[in-house]
Amino acid sequence: MFKENIKLRLTATFLICFLFFLQLNAQRWDVPADKKSKNSYIKFDGNTAKEGEAIFTKNCKSCHGDLGKSNGIKTMNPAPPDLSQALTQELTDGELFYILNTGRNAMPSFKNTLSEEERWKAISFIRSFNNKYVQVLSKTDPTKSKLVKINCVFDSLSNKLKLNIIANEKTGVIPLKDAEVSLFVTRYFGKLQIEKTIRTNADGIAIFNFPKDLPGDKTGNVDVAIKVSDELYGEIESVNKFNIGIPTDKLGLTQNRAIWNILKKAPWWIIITYTSIVLTVGAFLLYIIFSLLKIRKLGEN
Amino acid sequence: MSEKEENPKNKSRREFIQQVGIVGVGSVLAGSAILAGINYDKKKSTGARIKVLTAENELLEIDRNDATKVGKSKAENLTALQKEGREGIPGKRWVMVVDLSKCKNARKCMSACQGAHQLRPEQHHINVLKMQESKNTPPFYMAKPCQHCDNPPCVAVCPVDATFKRPDGIVLIDNERCIGCRFCIAACPYSARVFNWAEPLLAEEDKDKTYNVELNVPQRKGTVSKCLFSADRLREGKMPYCVSACPNGVYYFGDENEDAVTNGTTKETVRFSKLLEENAGYRLMPELGTKTRVYYLPAKNRTAPFQDKDKLEAEEHLDINNS
Amino acid sequence: MLDQSKFDKITSDLLKPIRINHSFMVWMGFLGVSLIVCLYAYSVQLDKGMVVTGLRDYVSWGMYISNFVFFVATSLIGMLISAVLGLSGEKWASPLARIAEIIALAFAAVAGLVIISDMGRPERLINVFLYGRIQSPILWDVTVVTFYVLISALFLYVPLIPDLKICYDKMNQLPAYKRNIYKVLSLNWIGSPEQIKIIKQSTRILAILIIPVALAIHTVTSWLFASTTRVGWDSSIFGPYFVTGAFVSGSAAVIIAMFFYRNNFKLQDYITEKHFDKMGKLLVLVSLIYLYFTLNEYMVPGYKMKKFDAMHIHALFTGTHALLFWSVQIFGLVLPIVLLLFKKMRKPLPMLVVALFVICGAWLKRYIIVIPTQEHPFLPIQNVPMNFKIYTPSLTESLISLAPIILVLIIITILSKVVPIIPVHETIEHLEETK
Repeated sequence: MFKENIKLRLTATFLICFLFFLQLNAQRWDVPADKKSKNSYIKFDGNTAKEGEAIFTKNCKSCHGDLGKSNGIKTMNPAPPDLSQALTQELTDGELFYILNTGRNAMPSFKNTLSEEERWKAISFIRSFNNKYVQVLSKTDPTKSKLVKINCVFDSLSNKLKLNIIANEKTGVIPLKDAEVSLFVTRYFGKLQIEKTIRTNADGIAIFNFPKDLPGDKTGNVDVAIKVSDELYGEIESVNKFNIGIPTDKLGLTQNRAIWNILKKAPWWIIITYTSIVLTVGAFLLYIIFSLLKIRKLGEN
Repeated sequence: MSEKEENPKNKSRREFIQQVGIVGVGSVLAGSAILAGINYDKKKSTGARIKVLTAENELLEIDRNDATKVGKSKAENLTALQKEGREGIPGKRWVMVVDLSKCKNARKCMSACQGAHQLRPEQHHINVLKMQESKNTPPFYMAKPCQHCDNPPCVAVCPVDATFKRPDGIVLIDNERCIGCRFCIAACPYSARVFNWAEPLLAEEDKDKTYNVELNVPQRKGTVSKCLFSADRLREGKMPYCVSACPNGVYYFGDENEDAVTNGTTKETVRFSKLLEENAGYRLMPELGTKTRVYYLPAKNRTAPFQDKDKLEAEEHLDINNS
Repeated sequence: MLDQSKFDKITSDLLKPIRINHSFMVWMGFLGVSLIVCLYAYSVQLDKGMVVTGLRDYVSWGMYISNFVFFVATSLIGMLISAVLGLSGEKWASPLARIAEIIALAFAAVAGLVIISDMGRPERLINVFLYGRIQSPILWDVTVVTFYVLISALFLYVPLIPDLKICYDKMNQLPAYKRNIYKVLSLNWIGSPEQIKIIKQSTRILAILIIPVALAIHTVTSWLFASTTRVGWDSSIFGPYFVTGAFVSGSAAVIIAMFFYRNNFKLQDYITEKHFDKMGKLLVLVSLIYLYFTLNEYMVPGYKMKKFDAMHIHALFTGTHALLFWSVQIFGLVLPIVLLLFKKMRKPLPMLVVALFVICGAWLKRYIIVIPTQEHPFLPIQNVPMNFKIYTPSLTESLISLAPIILVLIIITILSKVVPIIPVHETIEHLEETK
């Protein structure tokens, strides 16, 4: 009994050591340099942290547990860390933002489920556990986004969509260079991204290869959403209808006659066979009944 | 005897009933107007004023006593829901993609579905199965909703058009018409249908609820129920209950005509054709010619191991000669 | 010409059973009480829902459906004995024609009721006529069973017309209203050549018409199963397989009825040992054909052992249903064939025993066709309670399944108490011809 107990303890100790080792060796997040230096345009304060807490409780707590209590799911590999600890707090805001955007292994991406504002607020909540943290605000001026204008030209020969992104400043027209541009097509449940996110060149130009086989509506129209993210001008989104999809007007699946369709759409052979059998047998039966009446009449005389 | 003759007659009778209904409603309205006229003087202003938003978006303030509640009758609501339910959503061809590599048997889909459709614990519109094809091939978890076949064996055999295929691909069941013969259950090769053997769970509470064919609620004793691809949610632009509830990103749902499906967990939208192409997507038992609208991605590179405790159950279905 | 005394003897012999006696009252009382018990069971099912049966989502067709198949099957015998043997000039069968027709009518009419007991919403039966889809085998079944009941009723009635007249003439002891019914039903029969001509022609039309319709009812019943993709049902020989099986159970039913009519109605002179001998040979013939189809049905998938077929075959041959399966094949099919090959066995009493085995086997055979298939769907049965996986009929369900059998007995008993079960007119005619 006693021996077994020791055995058990030893195993447990080894196991804990092993898990600890695993945790230390958990892969580090490989964040590209430009993403690392990204900063929030929202000033973190008590309010943003409070809103962030609600977002955290809904989306993160089920795995990471309560911050500061280290009560996340231990059985997962790698185990989701307590985000209030140094391991996380050592990362830059940009790195945290990147992790939220991409996800990895068991951690899902929150790019599509949370807005950028919500993502930053979640980070604001995480930072509220770190009193040494000093926020570096991004240079973004949200008011400037109104000045940005996106010009689109579609080349139907090469199926390329050329975007020219400019800002109408008082001083004149300035092309947005090195701005992140993403292209989406609106579908019923969400936005379908076309190619990868790219950056504009020095002239504020970004070119996307639009797929040749993407279905549009009856006339081939598609709603194209262009999302521009610039360090200075912030986020700009514009949705436009373009006639660049494949005209799609598929009939309903119940058009053709079929065994499984409604009575009116039954196959002809079944209608003809059924009706002729019913009429034939019915006619014979009527004839028999008629004959019986005749017998009765004959007996009267 | 001939049902062929029965139906057109019956249709015209239904139209007739509708017309009578409209005339009936019309005369009731006229009657109440006259009544209101007679009672006009008797009515005293209570002084209580309420705000009313008209159909033209005008905000009016009227006396409480002058207001009459306007609403459709239960029968009218039912007729409208039935009509809408049979027509489906125009221009759509719904598809589901189930990524088996991500399924961890969390069963959130099952509970969300049972909650929405008021099912008993043993009734599954969607069932997560522990599967193993043969002795040396690996076991895996497989979520199995109704496959919404384009050549549906269940619909073919229904004697009364209670279960039917919609233009948008969904196979629904109208439990106001179902006679409970269970031929569809016998015909379904995917065991996707359930029957209300006893009084449904919320029979008492739902007594006066208008039946929604797109939700199949309230459930009815003695009728068949099945997965509906959450037709009521699709109308609202939301994804099915199971798809939205999955914590592991197993489900994609979308429109084949748009060539796009959206993941219920990550909300990421991808091209349907590319997703199948890149992951060797397949359909269940294609040899039966059922042309299902649910596609599967193989359980390659599983994100979680198959649990030991489930292995026995997965093996159970194997041919005893093989094991 | 036959002398008058012989006529009178035949007439009085055959009309004698048509009276209400003590044993009839006891028998009907017993059947009536049993029926009430069974109907109470059905009222429980109506109230609580079909949860009172052993049926669940996977095995959702059970005893009721196998009962239905059995009833349709047994009703087919009317066609074989009255129509096929009649048309092919097998005179020996003509005294049995009415028994076969009564059995056919009773079983076919009750088959329609059996299917209602299986409905979750019996009050919506009207929907089949309001919204019927002619693509569904159920619609075909409703159509052909209705036709078959009508044709069987006419086929029983038309040759009965002269006998009804005889009943009216001879049975003076009956109350006036009962005699009047005979009078009305006998359609002013005077036996004029024109009337005889019409009767002969109508009987012939019905005899020909009933053959395809009878084949249709059981073929369509087999299609209820064969139209699905399920293992064990998805078979192209199901139509003829069911039809031949039907002749087996129907022949057995006729033999049983013959035995009791012969003894209870003192008809030894009319249903002779020769009839039993012939029926024995007929039963061997149809059983051999059925054996041949059974062999085909299991040999073909059993040879290949495709994944799901194998599961089904194993369950039947060595698995959970093995005992039932082999009992049915041996005691209900092989042994009867072997026994009836001996002349000594083709006597009334041994034949009764064999026929009882055959008819029980025939019922269980339907059970084996309906249930095991559903216990082995393509996808595993999981996340449901144990009673979903294995079907065990409940007591309520068994009682409800008993009701149609009682009903059939009631119909057969009553019919044999109001009409002569051996055609009087034809027997006399036959005697005249052979003289």
